[in-house]
Amino acid sequence: MKHSFIALIEDKCTSCMLCVRECPAWCIHLDSHTVDVTEEGARRPKKVNVLDSFEIDYSLCMYCGVCIDVCPFDALAWDEHRALVTTNREDMLLGIEELGPSGSS
Amino acid sequence: MTRYALTSDPSVSVEVVSASLACCTLELQAALNSGALIQVSEGGTGPSVIVIAGTVTDALVPSVLELIDSYPGTKVMSFGACATSGGPYWDSPPVSKGIDQFVEVAAYVAGCPPRPDAFIQAIQELSLNRAS
Repeated sequence: MKHSFIALIEDKCTSCMLCVRECPAWCIHLDSHTVDVTEEGARRPKKVNVLDSFEIDYSLCMYCGVCIDVCPFDALAWDEHRALVTTNREDMLLGIEELGPSGSS
Repeated sequence: MTRYALTSDPSVSVEVVSASLACCTLELQAALNSGALIQVSEGGTGPSVIVIAGTVTDALVPSVLELIDSYPGTKVMSFGACATSGGPYWDSPPVSKGIDQFVEVAAYVAGCPPRPDAFIQAIQELSLNRAS
């Protein structure tokens, strides 16, 4: 297993913030909001988190994998097909689209 | 200053100067000796690269800049999280938050430490962009 990239599987993320709080370098930024979902037969609407933004700052990331270990929904995973080399520091801050697992799009 | 060429494509070669500051130095040595690069004799047209590997403290900044100035025309590679942004020490007062505050950086290599293949990829990209 190569530790060369951490990918986000967006569908599995519940915006629980565990990865953000456990990251030793504080390199993950996450923003979300809640919506009410009314299910048939339910007595009251259910609150559901919706992920707005998810960013990993690869200029800080230590590739320690704590976020992957701590995620209860396996929304983060090692992606061994990519290594990040950039000519611009701003390009090291990756959002949801850039963090998708390789081979997905 | 040592010239290295890619084992897979010996026409791609770079001259590497290592600014050894902290633990990334060992990782840089591992990358240089991983088998993907071969040491070649003088000559070749590839660019010269000075690799800043490790934590740059504020006290070390003048020495690092002096080293960079002593190799005019050399591209600067920021190797690892510390050289790029301070890395895990970003909230430590005596650690500089990235060498790009002081010099222009041609390539950033992510990782703490970066994998050898990330270094090889950076070398390839710097060689391809040698005209610019």
